Amino acid sequence: MVAVKQVATLDEDFEIRADGRDIDPDFLIRDLNEWDDFSLEEAVKIKEGSTQPVEVIAVSVGPDDVDESLRKCLAKGADRALRVWDDAIEGSDSIAIARILAAVARRESPDLLFAGVQSSDQAHASTGIATAGFLGWPHAAVVAHLTYAPGASTAAFRRELEGGVLQEGQIECPAVLTIQAGINTPRYASLRSIKQAAAKSIAVLSLEDLGLTPADVGEAGSSSHVRRMYVPDKGRAELIVGDAAEQARQLAAIIREFKGAAP
Amino acid sequence: MTGSDSVTRILFEAFSANEVRLFYALSLAASTVFCYGVYVQIRKYRRGAPYRPEGSLLARIAGMFGSVFSHRTLDRRDPAAGGAHRLIFYGFTLLFIGTATITLQYDILEPLFGIRFWHGTFYLAFSLVLDLAGVALLAGLGYMMYRRAWLKPPKLDYARPDRAPGDPDFDRSAYRIEDWAFLWTLLIIGATGYFLEAARLVWLEAEPEVWDTRWWSPIGAAIAGSLRALGMSAAAGGQLRHGLWWFHGIIALVLIALIPYTKVKHMFTAAGSLLVRDPLAAQRLPRIPESQARPGFAKITDFNWKQLLNLDACTKCGRCHEACPARAVGAPLSPRDVILSLREFANQALEYGSVPDAVELDVHGKAPGQVAMETLWSCRTCMACVEICPVAVEHVPIIVQMRRKLVEDGAMDPLLTKTLQTIHKTGNSFGESKRKRGAWTKPLPFKVKDARKEPVDVLWFVGDYASFDPRNQKVSQTLAALLTEAGVDFGILYDGESNAGNDVRRVGEEGLYEVLASANITALQAASFKSVITTDPHSYNTIRNEYPDFGGRFAIEHYTTLLSRLFASGALAASTPLHYRVTFHDPCHLGRFNQGYDAPRELLTLLGCELVEMGRCKANSFCCGAGGGRIWTPDPAGTETPAQNRIREAAAIPDLQVYVVSCPKDLTMFEDALKTTGNEGRFVVKELIELVREAVPAGRPAKREVITA
Repeated sequence: MVAVKQVATLDEDFEIRADGRDIDPDFLIRDLNEWDDFSLEEAVKIKEGSTQPVEVIAVSVGPDDVDESLRKCLAKGADRALRVWDDAIEGSDSIAIARILAAVARRESPDLLFAGVQSSDQAHASTGIATAGFLGWPHAAVVAHLTYAPGASTAAFRRELEGGVLQEGQIECPAVLTIQAGINTPRYASLRSIKQAAAKSIAVLSLEDLGLTPADVGEAGSSSHVRRMYVPDKGRAELIVGDAAEQARQLAAIIREFKGAAP
Repeated sequence: MTGSDSVTRILFEAFSANEVRLFYALSLAASTVFCYGVYVQIRKYRRGAPYRPEGSLLARIAGMFGSVFSHRTLDRRDPAAGGAHRLIFYGFTLLFIGTATITLQYDILEPLFGIRFWHGTFYLAFSLVLDLAGVALLAGLGYMMYRRAWLKPPKLDYARPDRAPGDPDFDRSAYRIEDWAFLWTLLIIGATGYFLEAARLVWLEAEPEVWDTRWWSPIGAAIAGSLRALGMSAAAGGQLRHGLWWFHGIIALVLIALIPYTKVKHMFTAAGSLLVRDPLAAQRLPRIPESQARPGFAKITDFNWKQLLNLDACTKCGRCHEACPARAVGAPLSPRDVILSLREFANQALEYGSVPDAVELDVHGKAPGQVAMETLWSCRTCMACVEICPVAVEHVPIIVQMRRKLVEDGAMDPLLTKTLQTIHKTGNSFGESKRKRGAWTKPLPFKVKDARKEPVDVLWFVGDYASFDPRNQKVSQTLAALLTEAGVDFGILYDGESNAGNDVRRVGEEGLYEVLASANITALQAASFKSVITTDPHSYNTIRNEYPDFGGRFAIEHYTTLLSRLFASGALAASTPLHYRVTFHDPCHLGRFNQGYDAPRELLTLLGCELVEMGRCKANSFCCGAGGGRIWTPDPAGTETPAQNRIREAAAIPDLQVYVVSCPKDLTMFEDALKTTGNEGRFVVKELIELVREAVPAGRPAKREVITA
């Protein structure tokens, strides 16, 4: 099972939403999260390298426009796509999303659950790990190399740590792995394959299907809340040119200006 | 006496009945071998995918005979070879008709109907014509031998840029042997024909019907005279005639038998290829049928029969090899070698009783006969190869179809993958926001109409480079000002426009092309306008030639013809002759693709420029290297780029001041190449629009004209 997210990037000249807590969705360009491209590729590679049948399921939480990203996953080799949505999910933080993903994992009982290390828009890097927490499964974060034979009871991984240090280890399955960008070379999904993937149906699950209630998700089920979103005032930089005396004179002028002293 | 029945040529005289039987048996055997070979070839073509040529059959037949009899396509860029081939062709054809005439009377009309015509005056005239045809044949062959042995033009060097010495299919010695064997065989057949004739004359010198009319075959008579002078008796002549008769006959029969197995088959395959020529082969690429599961060509059986026939039509003349810009700068691509490789592959895979498994039909790779992806990605789809091929081999659609397979597999440069994803996401190759597409109009002192909101006379399809590239934005602003001053009612689609898709399609990403084309067609159809203009020849080509296949039919022209008309009508007037010494670079997609050669030249003359043509101009214009999506993948470091090669060509023009282009991508490519070749300061690269601006003073009161095409 591969958990994927449709992330947003800012368009030119964006505006903040009226409530001041998010970007106006009109100014967002949506696409599949960069890390998820790698985690999906890793799953498809395991499938293609296996002699026994392996199923790759792409799962995402979001409204119907998320189908576009899921279709891309289907085009790249996922066998099935699931999307979870209910209006109550709006406003969920990464922990609430993890609760939903854990419910899906209980339903699908995969051997491995992949998530991206982080999402490029929110960058909490917590969804995958929190899902492991809800499931009570072992996890490994920032996986940069993976060896796994489908059906095996363990998987061997290599993680990236700070300062260029690598850590090798083994993990018992089922497990949650968050996949680091660069672990493989994601394939190109041609538009034709995306179009053909449109013929495959994307199953939509409700909270009820997963045994969750509105209280588990959305603002109510979240442990963190956004207060406001804003663009900080820009700092100033100025290049001082001229000979030493000239530079000193200019610098003094700037200091005086900041101090508010008379020139 | 010349009307006499007895003035004719003996055939089997003095032959024993067994000898005659033997000859017929050999003829039958040769015909059988020939027929079997033809069957194998046709079976090979039929193993390809179906194809239905467009247009009327009659027009295609007329076109084919026109090309064959005029040798129009063979004369181009090599009139000497064309002329020599013409001599061989007409000589051989007449001699063949001559032989067929004899068979017609001797084996068909006379035994069946008692009709005889091959005697008397007819025979003598026939004799003369054939003697002269033989001269033509031998002269043509002689030149071809001289060319191969002494002139050695580089295009006849079969060394492959896509293989290294030592690779199993690097060595092309078999082709060289075949070339020479073909020449020698024809030469020997021709020469022995004359000696055979001379020997017969000597043998029959006592018969006045023969001897007195001998000068009707002047070459034979002259040789006979020499043989007699050398002391040959009639009896010796008879013996020589007997021996040569068999020698000449057997070689001729062997040649006939071998036609379908050797390069000799080009007599049929080249004509066939010309018959099914697609005049828009590179301009309008084929759609992928809905029923086709995997796009593009993976296996040799994915090629249609016409393309398999194309492979066999190639005569290795090297014109495409010479014209190819990728080959010229040392890229691992020669259009000739792509065709020859695939031909060898097809022969290996499809000439036997059964077709091998799919794995053995895979045309992609590095094994003999396969085409490497580096080769396919080197192509700039500039159409130079298709345009010059004398036998209508259409390389570009084959290369693009093979690329479609590579795109589907993701086997491409990562930068190209990124660009395609960017275009999908933002609708342009710059990765800029859709909203910024019209931003280049902001600095203008007037508002450019939004054609989505109000009707306009002329809709300007701007294209990516002219919209987003800062250097080209200046050119777009200049044209907007000129059009406004000329009173042209025009508008643009702003963020309603997407990348036109011409190059996306030539990369081989057909799915993305379909998305872009339908988005643009929808946007164009929603707007109200009379005609479309563009400064971008790439957009021009795809909207003109390819959008109709998707239901979008729009009258479109390149800005050069519009400006030309504006000058003619007086809406624009050049006040200051520029007196620049300029050269003009024909953009592939405007010139070769769409024959837009004249308008830019007319404009340059009108502006008072002195135009000095480069050696490679018009149909032979040399690609800037940006086509086929290559502008999105950098050329390998340390090698010359096509643009540099071109700028060096221009730099050889004494006192050149301006290198004029009329394509946004050209401006980008050549300004860069001007710097990297160290020619900066010697001359400048300018868009034709900028020269027009220089010559037409700004702010002239507009004189409103009807300018739509």
